[in-house]
Amino acid sequence: MKIIILIISFLIVFSFYKNAAAEYFYKEINLIGGYSDMDKWIGKSETLSNSVGFEDFRKFSNEYGDFLTSDLQMRLAYDSTENSQEAWALEVHNAWLAYKLGLGRDLKIGHFDPEFGLEPILDTHGTILQTLAMKDIGFNKDWGVALEGSLSELDYKAALQIGSGMSVRHRDGSYLFTTRIGTPTTNNLQYGLSLMRGEVLQSEGMSTFPLDDLLSDKVVTKNRIGLDGQYLFTSYLFKGEVAYGRNDDDDVLGYLGEVDYTLPRNQKIQMELQFQSWINDLTEDKSDDSTLIAGLSYKLNQNTTLRVAFSHDFNLMEGREDDKILVQFYYFGI
Amino acid sequence: MIKFWSSFIILEFKKVCLVIFIALALLAAYASISFAAVGCSLNDPDRDVKRLFPEATGYKTDFITVKEAGGEELFKKIEQELGGKLDTLYETIDVPYAFYDVLKGKEVIAHIHGVNQKGIYGGMQIILATDLKGKILHFYYQKMSSPEASKFMDNNFTRQFASLSLDDFIQGKISIKDPTKESHEDFLATLRGVKKNLILLKELKINRKPGTK
Repeated sequence: MKIIILIISFLIVFSFYKNAAAEYFYKEINLIGGYSDMDKWIGKSETLSNSVGFEDFRKFSNEYGDFLTSDLQMRLAYDSTENSQEAWALEVHNAWLAYKLGLGRDLKIGHFDPEFGLEPILDTHGTILQTLAMKDIGFNKDWGVALEGSLSELDYKAALQIGSGMSVRHRDGSYLFTTRIGTPTTNNLQYGLSLMRGEVLQSEGMSTFPLDDLLSDKVVTKNRIGLDGQYLFTSYLFKGEVAYGRNDDDDVLGYLGEVDYTLPRNQKIQMELQFQSWINDLTEDKSDDSTLIAGLSYKLNQNTTLRVAFSHDFNLMEGREDDKILVQFYYFGI
Repeated sequence: MIKFWSSFIILEFKKVCLVIFIALALLAAYASISFAAVGCSLNDPDRDVKRLFPEATGYKTDFITVKEAGGEELFKKIEQELGGKLDTLYETIDVPYAFYDVLKGKEVIAHIHGVNQKGIYGGMQIILATDLKGKILHFYYQKMSSPEASKFMDNNFTRQFASLSLDDFIQGKISIKDPTKESHEDFLATLRGVKKNLILLKELKINRKPGTK
């Protein structure tokens, strides 16, 4: 805990340090709302609430070049489903330092994506459509250290984290080890192989301060193998991932397929269609959580996007289905 | 439907006002140190630097906008050199461009710079590595959405840009042929993107006035 507070303190101090070689500072506003058959009026998605935030990204260098990168990305979020005492939360998303060990090798410390599946290679920070990470791991950021690097034909990443997600906790021997080997992110066709082993705490919500709610004091033992891929072809971007393994004694399987289409003659408009399914126990019928989402986004300008997403959940609690519509105003820039 | 939205607005109005108030307060606080979204940075600069310059030992990153380097006057000058208007989505005055100085020890041996360029089917990302005077050493696409992308990304096409400079584009001394059968507009977009990249390199990096960021 003290180390993590130290990292955040360093990042905040760095954000006022004016002699960084290169820096950029984003401001963020997210307004989201909608309606669900099950929950009625809603003011959030799985990972997004009404919020304001920022990202402070810096590269520090000396006469021999860049040697340190820092990133601090935080939100002040408001959850309209909570009472006024508990509605506000500080979400720390990225809070990391990456030290260059040499050209093509970085040592990272702080809060960042587990190195598993599509999540570490996609930017899902402001999007309604997400990867499998929330259902697969239980969160899409965790605290720890990572080694990232590139070989001639492959990129590799490996992370050891504390297995608690957004909040800082260490209980019941929790930890999370993840690793991914994949093709370079500059190819039109990209794919990767991931492995995961961990004793992971399961929590609800995206809050860092105050601590998010734990679903149990006991960890869940997770083992996984995963494959992911992306293919850019003309105006279409295809994405897919599959993860298989065990949660304690249960065999689990998850898969996701998505296609994004940019209108050629009006590239401010993008359509998205995603299907994802997570099967909590392969030996039980109807233990899956499956969702089909169709989204439409319009880029008002370089910084501002309007989105609407319609989703159908096929099998929620007690076998019920749910239809949902979400509307989002998202600003990320000046 | 009207009832649906009106009740939603009433229910959420106070909450949204509160969020907007805080947003505006934060925006005001940060107004003096703000930047826009980065134009086109390298996805993996370490890999690119190692591949293009095996003798390199490091690189130094620099972000700068047209607004910081020369404001409206420079923006208009860039449009004149380019021979047309800049895009209102990809090419605004406050886009920070990322420049990478390739280093061998302490010595700068090359620059790398990328730009976004609108293509027929989506955005393309055009990356140039140049010598210190702005002559192209290497050209590649970081992203290319054409149906004939493989022909554009083939070395037989991209290496034809080596040794060209901005003067060659301005004087029309370009004899590169379209490698595709049905993607001529993407070919023309590529030429525009390369020229724009060289103009920005000259104005924001090589000829940057002392005292600008």
